[in-house]
Amino acid sequence: MSFVARLLRREDLHSLAAPYALDALERAERRRFETHLSTCEVCAAEVRALTEDAVRLAWSTAAPPPAALRERVLSAVRTTPQESAGVPARARAPQLPPHVWGNQAPPRGRSVRRPLFVPFATATAAAALVVASLFAVQANEARDDLAAQRARASEIANVLGAPDARASTGEDAKGRRIGVVASASEGRAVVTLSGYGEPPGGRVRQLWLMRPGAQPRSLGLFDGDTPLIASGLDTSSTSLAVTVEPGGGSPQPTSQPIVQLALKSVGFGE
Amino acid sequence: MDADELLVLVAGGDQKAFEDLYGLVSGPVYGLVRRVVRDPAQSEEVAQEVLLELWRSAARFDPRRGSALSWVLTLAHRRAVDRVRSARAAGEREQREALRSGQPAFDHVAEEVEAGLEREWVRRCLERLTALQRQSVTLAYYDGYTYREVAERLSLPLGTVKTRMRDGLTQLRKCLGGVA
Repeated sequence: MSFVARLLRREDLHSLAAPYALDALERAERRRFETHLSTCEVCAAEVRALTEDAVRLAWSTAAPPPAALRERVLSAVRTTPQESAGVPARARAPQLPPHVWGNQAPPRGRSVRRPLFVPFATATAAAALVVASLFAVQANEARDDLAAQRARASEIANVLGAPDARASTGEDAKGRRIGVVASASEGRAVVTLSGYGEPPGGRVRQLWLMRPGAQPRSLGLFDGDTPLIASGLDTSSTSLAVTVEPGGGSPQPTSQPIVQLALKSVGFGE
Repeated sequence: MDADELLVLVAGGDQKAFEDLYGLVSGPVYGLVRRVVRDPAQSEEVAQEVLLELWRSAARFDPRRGSALSWVLTLAHRRAVDRVRSARAAGEREQREALRSGQPAFDHVAEEVEAGLEREWVRRCLERLTALQRQSVTLAYYDGYTYREVAERLSLPLGTVKTRMRDGLTQLRKCLGGVA
């Protein structure tokens, strides 16, 4: 093959980075491209970046799996041997998915642009969060208006004490948490965040109610670790989301959610 | 504990860690597989294979190369696409689609339970792409078509489709990567 032909072929292969990241190559072509990737660091880096972009398309498709799947997978795991266990991970070739991340480590901090937030129901953790927040309420009494704080504490107690109060918590990839205790009959929820710190530059964290086919509705702004009491929830409410907004909040979200929590496990979204 | 740490424990044979990992990734894995494969029974089958593959092959995950969630979702997408292509080749898909017509599309049922704002955000960003960029990206990623098939369906030259896919992904990165 002539030099020019080789160059052209290389260029041609290089243009397959995006289709490869989207899994849009036929099998044979995929293999050829992967062979090329192992020798082309520029392509590998590009494929890494494009693959992260493609994965963003996946994040929005999360759906609860059938309950029976869990038991089937977990019992299969008990009897399924693992491949080459015991050998340190770095000693093995990254074969799966093949060459997706090329031959060099990505720059630090690049791998997770936005943590995927996966809700799960652990009542005890959520309750612990709420209790911790109640302490925060009491500790703040000196600073704020006592009567308002008492009213808030009593509202929280009402939600917690409702006969159908249920708790759920979610944790993102960085271990930051959102906790909710909600009562469907009261249409109210107590929502707490932990581990998020204060948003920089005078920005605020705003809580949104998500309903199918409707615009997000603001449920208020968080003030530090103080729990936020959300009211006016109806059974069509499917999830809560928190975004970082300019000071004073926004009429509609202007950024992606930093966390999100499905409400189904606490009696909504039916 | 996050998915990256859990996956490292799973690689060491920790079944409890796998249960926690299942809790974190089963929704995203199942949702993605179902979006691509569509058929509920087949989606469940593919999701099960993917989740078991995580257990078997956890040792291959290398945290230096990217996040665990990206790794998991990339694997799930690869398996879903492989399945939908072989089903398509067998002509089963057309038959199933014919049978299913008249029933509500999956998109309007189970998908709305979670992912509200994230879904909304991705949708808005997709809307900002040109029609050709959007179609090139979604026909490939959500419907599992190869770029050759995409070119055929859109009556575009192969080179154009490759460029649109790349521009589409880059635009998405700009739109989605903005504020976090």
